[in-house]
Amino acid sequence: MRFTTRLYSATAWKGTITGKLGELTKRYANLPEAYIQRTAEQVEFQTPNRREYQNKKLEQGVYRFTANRPWTDEWKRQNDKARRPVVVEPIRDWNFFRGDRVEVLVGRDRGKHGIVSQVIQERNWIFVAGLNTHLRRVGSRQEGSAGFYVKSEAPLLVTNQVALVDPSDNKTTKVEWRFTEDGERVRVSLRTGRIIPLPPSGFETWDYKTPETYLEGDKDTKADVVKAVNFRPTLKTFEMEIMESMGIIEHRVPKKSYWY
Amino acid sequence: MSLLRRLVVPTYLSQALTRFSCKNNVDRLFSALFLPKNAYRMVSTTTTKFDLMEFFDDKKNWGEGTVRTGRSWTKDELRLKSNTDIHKLWYILLKEKNMLLTMEQACKDESELFPNPERIDKVAESMTNLEEVVRERNRAYYLLETGTTGERPGAEEENFLGLPEYSQFNEYPVPKEENKDYLKAKSEEPVVHPSEKAWFLVRLNEKRIKQKRWERREARKGVKEIIEHFPDVDRELIKEKFPDINVERVIERTNNRHLGNIKPKTFKWNRC
Repeated sequence: MRFTTRLYSATAWKGTITGKLGELTKRYANLPEAYIQRTAEQVEFQTPNRREYQNKKLEQGVYRFTANRPWTDEWKRQNDKARRPVVVEPIRDWNFFRGDRVEVLVGRDRGKHGIVSQVIQERNWIFVAGLNTHLRRVGSRQEGSAGFYVKSEAPLLVTNQVALVDPSDNKTTKVEWRFTEDGERVRVSLRTGRIIPLPPSGFETWDYKTPETYLEGDKDTKADVVKAVNFRPTLKTFEMEIMESMGIIEHRVPKKSYWY
Repeated sequence: MSLLRRLVVPTYLSQALTRFSCKNNVDRLFSALFLPKNAYRMVSTTTTKFDLMEFFDDKKNWGEGTVRTGRSWTKDELRLKSNTDIHKLWYILLKEKNMLLTMEQACKDESELFPNPERIDKVAESMTNLEEVVRERNRAYYLLETGTTGERPGAEEENFLGLPEYSQFNEYPVPKEENKDYLKAKSEEPVVHPSEKAWFLVRLNEKRIKQKRWERREARKGVKEIIEHFPDVDRELIKEKFPDINVERVIERTNNRHLGNIKPKTFKWNRC
């Protein structure tokens, strides 16, 4: 199959970048989707948003998801040229979260248990802290130094290269999502039947570890102020209520106008 | 209008003097209205801040690499608030947006990194949500009282290409039949013959069919790729993800590629 770059991307069918992002990615980023789309897309030219122009966008429509997140500069550099798209296996339910204990099934570290440090749903990838590592050379090699080696983890495929560990007996297990009596959706180990709870760091975001520990800034509205209900529905429009509260009295009646 | 003009010219200088001698905003406002001092209405204004520095961020954030901010207001949260609160929030958000845009430009001028540019998107999202909530409330009132939404009326009409186009109505002081300029402009509009519209629509339809065919073909290729790379994938899941494709047929063709799709090798004695 010869891969050709397209002049106009078929975004109507392929969807935007945010349409392809995984739920966990969006949750961790805690960023507005419009921002992610704006920073991630590679647009060569876009017609101005004026009525005399048709909506045309010269966009590199094919993007490859990498270990770098789409709103970073590294992703942009990796995606400045359109590359052959990667085929990713569709998965029904995502079972792996940050902070889960997993066993590596392939490679030099097979059989070892580790904690999930990063999840990249778009490629079905997991990074396990300290496992499946390789050495890569970092640092300047121009000032006489040869650089230095850094241990970095390689991603593991969720489908066949890792398995969840049941905390009750520390052995690998397949998992299914079921509902408790309270209506809560939980992971149940198919081998033992026990619930594997979601780790607390699975709900972490870039901005905070837990919503309770988030330090509110100067411009942030406090949570109790946000939740306070002071709306009283009345038979008035928005403008009428504001005029009343400000004491603006308007006796003039607008002349009849016609719309066509 | 002419009465007002007669009043302005002689009293301009005295008015200017009174304006500068006023102590607060409310007095200043009323001095411009030519009303006697005892004809007060309840007018509320903000505390006087003649500070252009409001266009800039807090000084402690200048030169910072990151500025932490929370997320945008959601529609559900805004629906809990009264109209007066929402009214105030709009201006707070507007001022914040102006400040962020000023900071972005200032950083560009100095070739500095603008920290956390997603703040602008967060504020813009809050403002769109706010406007939507206000429109909801107004629409509810108008639909109840008048039967129309109260928003700008419009209609879907056939344009010169023969395609349906929603156009917003304009406001006029006289009905359509009496509006000479409008009727003249309408009569001078170029008339497109229905046969020309039909000529265009046939070809547009062809283009749309081609596009749909291309999309279905690309989807089939996508399914084929998935089956080739992952033969054990869940068939039901593929059918859910590609509802318009006959997944079974694609799988059959992928697996039986060696049967009949390759041209048989012709030898000299086989050519007839």
